[in-house]
This record gives sequence, C-alpha cells and structure tokens, in this order.
Amino acid sequence: MERKGSPYVIEITVISAEGLRLSRNQPVKKNSCVVLRSDPFNSRTTGMDSEGGSYPAWNEKLLMELPANARFLTVEAHSGSRLVGAASIPVSDFAASFLPVNYLSFLSYRLRDAHGAKNGILNLSVKVIGRPSPTIGCAASCSGGPWPGVPLADGKVAGHGIVTGIPVSYRW
Amino acid sequence: MGNCCSDVAGGQSAVGGTNSSYAANASNEAVDAFFKSRGYNGLFSQIELSLSATDLRNRDVLSKSDPMAVLYIKGSDGSLRELGRTEVVLNSLSPKWIKKFTVTYQFEMVQNLVLRVYDVDTQFHGMDVKALKLEEQQLLGEATCTLSEIATKLYRTVTVDLAHGEVSAPAHTRKCGQLTVYAEESVASKTTVELVLRCSDLESKDLFSKSDPFLVISKATEHGILVPICKTEVLENDHEPTWKQIFLSIQQVGSKDSPLLIECFDFNSNGKHALLGKAQKSLAELERLHSTGSVENLFIPMSVGQNHQRKVLKSQLIVDKYSENIQHTFLDYLAGGYELNFMVAIDFTASNGNPRLPDSLHYIDPSGRPNAYQRAILEVGGVLQFYDYDKKFPAWGFGARPIDGPVSHCFNLNGSSTYCEVEGIHGIMMAYASALSNVSLAGPTLFGHVVMQAAQIASGSVARNERKYFVLLIITDGVITDLQETKDAFVMASDLPLSILIVGVGGADFKEMEILDADKGERLESSSGRVASRDIVQFVPFRDVQSGEDSVVQSLLAELPTQFLTYVRARGIGPTA
Repeated sequence: MERKGSPYVIEITVISAEGLRLSRNQPVKKNSCVVLRSDPFNSRTTGMDSEGGSYPAWNEKLLMELPANARFLTVEAHSGSRLVGAASIPVSDFAASFLPVNYLSFLSYRLRDAHGAKNGILNLSVKVIGRPSPTIGCAASCSGGPWPGVPLADGKVAGHGIVTGIPVSYRW
Repeated sequence: MGNCCSDVAGGQSAVGGTNSSYAANASNEAVDAFFKSRGYNGLFSQIELSLSATDLRNRDVLSKSDPMAVLYIKGSDGSLRELGRTEVVLNSLSPKWIKKFTVTYQFEMVQNLVLRVYDVDTQFHGMDVKALKLEEQQLLGEATCTLSEIATKLYRTVTVDLAHGEVSAPAHTRKCGQLTVYAEESVASKTTVELVLRCSDLESKDLFSKSDPFLVISKATEHGILVPICKTEVLENDHEPTWKQIFLSIQQVGSKDSPLLIECFDFNSNGKHALLGKAQKSLAELERLHSTGSVENLFIPMSVGQNHQRKVLKSQLIVDKYSENIQHTFLDYLAGGYELNFMVAIDFTASNGNPRLPDSLHYIDPSGRPNAYQRAILEVGGVLQFYDYDKKFPAWGFGARPIDGPVSHCFNLNGSSTYCEVEGIHGIMMAYASALSNVSLAGPTLFGHVVMQAAQIASGSVARNERKYFVLLIITDGVITDLQETKDAFVMASDLPLSILIVGVGGADFKEMEILDADKGERLESSSGRVASRDIVQFVPFRDVQSGEDSVVQSLLAELPTQFLTYVRARGIGPTA
C-alpha cells in the first residue's frame, strides 16, 4: 500500500431499507437507524425512523471523510440499541476509476445479521465529492486517475458472503 | 404480518396523487399500475402534430390549389387507418393548416404515418371536411414518415418530400413539394402540483381523545359524480395537523380551474370516518390562498328541510406550500438529444444445431426467410434504430470458437479484433451471416463477458459525460450455464445507463431466465451481497412471437422508457444538456 493520498470526502444518502427483521418472524417495528463506519473511530449515524417499521426511509445525507487507502465502508442497521444487520461496501463500487467525479451511484446491499443470515436490503446513493490530490508520480500518469478501485472489466469480486477488495497496486 | 394492526396502518397511509421525485426511485407496483392506467409514464404520450406545406403543385386553372391534408396510420398489415383531416386552405401553394392532430406515441412499436395532401375542388367548399369523398378530390402528393422520427425531433420540424406516385409507375414519381411536420407533447400532462396542507382548530369527534384527521381530495366529473383522487395519511390525536406533501398532476385533476372537494375526516378503524369539515377549491384558488397567506374556513353541509345550507366552522384550511413543477417525460429527454444506443449479442453455442442443417436455429434459409435470430434483430433493432443517431451498433457473439482460437465468450461479429461496431441493422445481419461461416459453435452459455463489455462502453460514455443510454439485446437459445456469474454482471450494471433485453429462441426451458427478470420475483443479488439498485433486465421467449403476434417484441420494449426514466430521474438529470 504505497498509496498515501489525502483523504477524500464522500456524500452518502441513506435512502431506505427493506424487510428488516428482529428475529425470524418478527419485523422491526420502529426506531431504526443506520450507522456508517469507515474505520473503528470514524462513523456517522442517521436519525431514527419512527414511521416506516420494517421498511424505514431516511433520505438523509451524510458527509464522510474516507482515507485514501480505504477499501471498505461498513453499514449497520440498528433498531433501537440492537444491531439488525450489516454489510460491507467495497469502495470500488462507487469510486472506481471509470466513474467520473460527482457520479451519483445508486447502490443496494443485502444486510446480514450477526449469524450471517439474510436480513433485509439497504438502499443508498453515494457521490464522491473531492478527489484526493495525487501525491505519487504514478497516480498522475495513470489514465483513470488516482482512484483506489478496480476497473470494470475485472469488477467481479471473488468470495462468498464477505466481499474482498483487490488492492489497486496489482493493476499498475 | 397479517395482524389487524397492519391493516389499520395500511388504511391510514396516503394514497394517490402523482409521482413525487422520490416515488421515482422507490418502485411501487400499485402506484406504477395507477400511473399506467392514466397513461402517465412516458410510455404513451400524446403528441400534437401541426402540418404545413411548401411548393405544392397547382392543379386549379384559374386560381391556386385548395389543399387539405389527411393523416393515416399504417397498420402492420399495410392497411391505412385515417386519423384525421385538416381544414381546407383556399388558394395556397404553401398552406399552414391550423387543425392539429393528436397521435398517441408508443415507444415499443414503429408507427408509420402516411400523409396525403388533396386539392379540394371549389364545388365541395363549405362542406364538412369529414364528409368529403377523397376519391373525388385530386391527390397532390403523399409522404410517409415514422412517428419515432418525429418524436426524436420534438419541438423541431421534420420535413418530408411529397411524392405523387402515378399508379404502377414509381419511376415517374415526381417531386410535388414538401410537407413540414411540427410536433409537440401536450404540456398539461407533465405538470405536477406539490401541496402541503394544514388544518387548524379541528373539532373533536372522538369521545376520549382528539380526532385523527386525514384529507380526501376529490374531483367532480362532468356528470357531477365525485371521484377521489388522493388521500393523505392519518395523523393521530392532532387538531392542528400538517400532512405530508401531496402530489397532483394537472392531467389527473382536469385543469387548474376545475373545482376540487377537500374533505377532512376523523379516522375511525371501523371505516365510518366522521366528516370534520370540507372546502371546495380549485388548484388556482389554492395557489391564491398560498400566495396571499389567507385561510379558508371549512364548512359542513346541513340539510334543513328541503334546502341545503352550509354551516361554516371555526376550523381552517391553510396551504403551507404550493409549487408546480414539470415532470419530464421520456419524449422530453429524446427531444433534448438523449440517445438510446443499441447493442447486440448473439448466442453461438452448439445447442443451436449445425447451421448448415435446416433444423438449426442458425440455419439461413436460401429463400430469404429470416431465422429466429434474424427476426429478433430485425424486430427489436427496427424499433430502436430510430433513437441511435450514428446507427453504428456494437455486435458480439458468444459461446463459439473463432478460427484456431479457444472458445470466446465475447467476440466481435464483424471478425475484427479491434472494433465491434457495424453499420446499421443491415450491418448486423451481414456480420451475423459471415460470423456463422467463420466460427465453430461450442459452449457453454455465459453472458458475463458480453454484459461486462457493454457495461464498459456505458461507463466510458458516462465518463465522457455523453447523454446516452444503452440497450443490450442478448439473443440466446438456452439456459445460461453460470447463473451467479450472470447475476453478478447484471447487478454491477444496474448502476450504469444500461438496460438488457434477453430474447430466448427455440424450445428450451427458460425458467432461469425468468429469475433474471426482476419484475417477476426478487431483486437480483450478487455473490458479494450487492443488490441490483433497479430493474434493468427484460426477458421474452421468442416462440410466442412465432405465433404471429408482434405484441411480444412490444412487451420486451415496453419497459424501456420506464427503466430509462428511473435512471435519469434518480440522478436528477434534466432533459437538456
């Protein structure tokens, strides 16, 4: 990981979630919120949704700073104080080199609970606002720009259940 | 979830109104169906055509011609159906007709229009144009064009040459002037009004608590029947309720001046909602209430004996927000220069059978009768080519071994190793036929590479800020080998300006394909846990088409405008650059 660009800012709109359950046949009633984490010390939280039940909607914009070498973002859906489900978002899904700056990516993820069982879907949109300034000679010369992420042609991500990111330095 | 509490919650939610900007990215089938029933989804748009002509032939001896234009639509069997006639313009060789034609534009089919200009003899003047016998009039010329051609040039003019083909002598077709068509979409259908309504000082109807108010807005039809058009959510125990915003389309309401009945009810779970008061206001009046900041007192109708009276209440209706916005339609985007780019991928797996044998799906009949693949290209491409301005179509094949090579899951049909584009639908057909003789059919059936290739073109276009939307047509004879790989590719592509149409030819079992078509089941999910953010896949088995109806290709294309609109609306992309 020789890439140590400055952190960049992303704007995440947490739109809604679908089919959140507390247990197998107990849907979430109210007070659900979403926590975004880029690392253990850096997180953002949406407000509580009190009306949507197991289909909550927030439509809330959150700004977040991402370290240039970040590979994942973690999203967690909570109901009250309880963790309902979580998912890892590969940074390459919204900051890949082929996407123009300010491209609004609409992304949805399957949430899984602590036991790995499917639990609802989270819908969000992500926009990268500021590019990190290129600090390494290679970054400026690379046609796609200094993005961590994998070009589309190789965009298929390996593994099951957990997403694995492919370090960008393998490509250049 | 079948408890009675959820029933009440369902009854208490807001219904009706029109697409809000959020409704555009949240899909709701009931709402979709509702809009479709009202023709409010860009699929069916009313286009208004105005006609004018120049340099018409002069057929009258003493004066100039007296032209009248007649518009026909040509059916798939070649028969003409008259859509309407203009008025007769006297003594003019370059008439501008005032009468407009309203034509329903349908994206999924090619609508051929035939325009004929007649010189109406003096003796018939004063007659109702509809009563004129056209065979008694002199034909000045005839022109044909397609409605899709006009639709892509909305708010601009399309000029076509008039020809006068003497019977069985096309060689003598002479130029007879030009006809200019100007098209616009009916504007009323696009405007939506956003309202935020509030009430104050509502009465209490509940015994132990405050009322649970909600609003119902109805319009009066011509026959005086009230038709409810939207309902707000129920706010519990609130005598000063402010409801969430309501969206109404002008088309739904009728016009800005048509009176609306706004009724405030107290919600009662047994269904007998008590009237708390009502008001009768048109949208224009509501706008005035908002701009002047005034309030409207609710009333309750009282019948005292024979006469109906109104008891004005202390309760008030306040308009907190009134704004009109124009919901852009599919046609707006086309008119703004948005292109639909067509791409084709053809299945060359061995399951199609030896192309030299007549029972093969790839058999090219020397008599010229197209095989299933050719027919699918012709029918889908025939509709889409009008929206692709350079008419250069990327064309690929998959599942075959090019000469001396290993099996390729995405090779260029034209045989080139560098560029994949071919010229026009004809180019696709040529490349397809030549590819058949140059590759040996193999397997397995994998879509992933082709979809990735298409996604790369689409993302390249996004990076260049081009205003293009891509449509990939995959024609296949069988079940895909790796379903998960295909799903992964589709999920990844769902964030790009790309739609995928799959046509299944032959008699195979296409159950797995139905899974890919998300509107028949669950949303597509990739192995990494990402879920498709929107529906981009349409699947149709082509054997239904062989029975002679063309409605199957239409059903394949029918969802495209909606898929396109979800993409652009969610991103807030406007119709003009």
